[in-house]
Amino acid sequence: MEGKEEDVNVGANKFPERQPIGTAAQTESKDYKEPPPAPFFEPGELKSWSFYRAGIAEFIATFLFLYVTVLTVMGVKRAPNMCASVGIQGIAWAFGGMIFALVYCTAGISGGHINPAVTFGLFLARKLSLTRALFYIVMQCLGAICGAGVVKGFQPGLYQTNGGGANVVAHGYTKGSGLGAEIVGTFVLVYTVFSATDAKRSARDSHVPILAPLPIGFAVFLVHLATIPITGTGINPARSLGAAIIYNKDHAWDDHWIFWVGPFIGAALAALYHQIVIRAIPFKSKT
Amino acid sequence: MSKEVSEEGKTHHGKDYVDPPPAPLLDMGELKSWSFYRALIAEFIATLLFLYVTVATVIGHKKQTGPCDGVGLLGIAWAFGGMIFVLVYCTAGISGGHINPAVTFGLFLARKVSLVRALGYMIAQCLGAICGVGFVKAFMKTPYNTLGGGANTVADGYSKGTALGAEIIGTFVLVYTVFSATDPKRSARDSHIPVLAPLPIGFAVFMVHLATIPITGTGINPARSFGAAVIYNNEKAWDDQWIFWVGPFLGALAAAAYHQYILRASAIKALGSFRSNATN
Repeated sequence: MEGKEEDVNVGANKFPERQPIGTAAQTESKDYKEPPPAPFFEPGELKSWSFYRAGIAEFIATFLFLYVTVLTVMGVKRAPNMCASVGIQGIAWAFGGMIFALVYCTAGISGGHINPAVTFGLFLARKLSLTRALFYIVMQCLGAICGAGVVKGFQPGLYQTNGGGANVVAHGYTKGSGLGAEIVGTFVLVYTVFSATDAKRSARDSHVPILAPLPIGFAVFLVHLATIPITGTGINPARSLGAAIIYNKDHAWDDHWIFWVGPFIGAALAALYHQIVIRAIPFKSKT
Repeated sequence: MSKEVSEEGKTHHGKDYVDPPPAPLLDMGELKSWSFYRALIAEFIATLLFLYVTVATVIGHKKQTGPCDGVGLLGIAWAFGGMIFVLVYCTAGISGGHINPAVTFGLFLARKVSLVRALGYMIAQCLGAICGVGFVKAFMKTPYNTLGGGANTVADGYSKGTALGAEIIGTFVLVYTVFSATDPKRSARDSHIPVLAPLPIGFAVFMVHLATIPITGTGINPARSFGAAVIYNNEKAWDDQWIFWVGPFLGALAAAAYHQYILRASAIKALGSFRSNATN
């Protein structure tokens, strides 16, 4: 279309770009601005209340997330049979629905990460500084430990005998399968986060951010449906760490590396895919 | 274009949308544009993720050892519908978020995409589907092979004709929803906020799965059926494969005709029969 500003100014793009018709909106001009990359290290943040407020928000969100989800898992495990509980699908809904609610609540405070893998992916895309990324990850892990701790406090005996909601590779699957499932699952989640928070996306939604959390929550729900039989679904290192620390059994720790390596690789791949292939940011001319 | 838009606004007070011009049948210029290849990559990745999550959910469910141990058929339907919602949301601005050769075919018939783009999308979708199911087989090899490979087949007790009919009507529901969600007039009514376009599309997929999982496992997406058949490579899956191409394409054709000729009355508009102003 005439006059439409091109995303990529490279030699191959000599022809005007046609707007792909499908579910795309027909925008005539660019009414969004790509935010500048965040500085790598920003000591000034440490003196701002909003920095600590964001960390506290991540702590509380992850605490509530682990409390609701692990308690749901415990309810399913202790039931006499699966039909008497909310079942595997109910567990998936607990994870996905809780992410939807919490991302909605904390999006404006901290960006609503609730997941070290999401924080890592956004850090790689230079959406936040190293200082903030590390602070968020620490607060998320602490929140997860406290959330799982409260669940154990409610029912210490049942908690220990029913697996503690910890992530382990299930019988019949190799560690390689578990790792692969975590990588692809986290890719789905972080890629959805990138799409939902993209500046261009906001412009297309006429800057109405009401539904960004919904696809993120759905992505978590869907990945849980797919991989609960394999690993109980980590795709969130804080969630896996919180349950592992409070449960504290050998087999939970044996597999624990999978739930950090897998999610971080998946997040890195999603960051690469979105920033380089979809948005082609490194190839844009600096205007 | 901007001049044309403002002119249109002047002469047609009250109508604040413009129907896009029909896409050219052959547009070789697209082949030299990065956004074309980016769209293909996006369709490939989206279909890969779609097949991985959905087929893994199917295999995980079938692996259950007792009643209610899996996510249930409802969970499988959610996996399909929810994944379409998420992926259409993510790729809408890149490629239009088709993730389904039947949707691409319907939009091609409605002249929303060129032939070159339509063929490119379909190939990317089929390749993505094969890779997605390949991931599932790699991660859960033994249960994948013993539990039907997530392939679409006609269930016992149903004839091929019944299955074909189910696929036709199911795909009609999906493609008709896609047309409604992407209609420029619809956008105008929604104040041009396309926030919810992916949601009804995802729900349409979800509800069709609720209805037809017992009949065929629900194809309504030739790439999905093709990917599972290729990786599972079982005779029965191939015997029935034609149903999962003919049915969806007929359904898409019916939806395109219904939306374009009856709801939007584009043929009648072209004739100018009902209005003196030929530019309407």
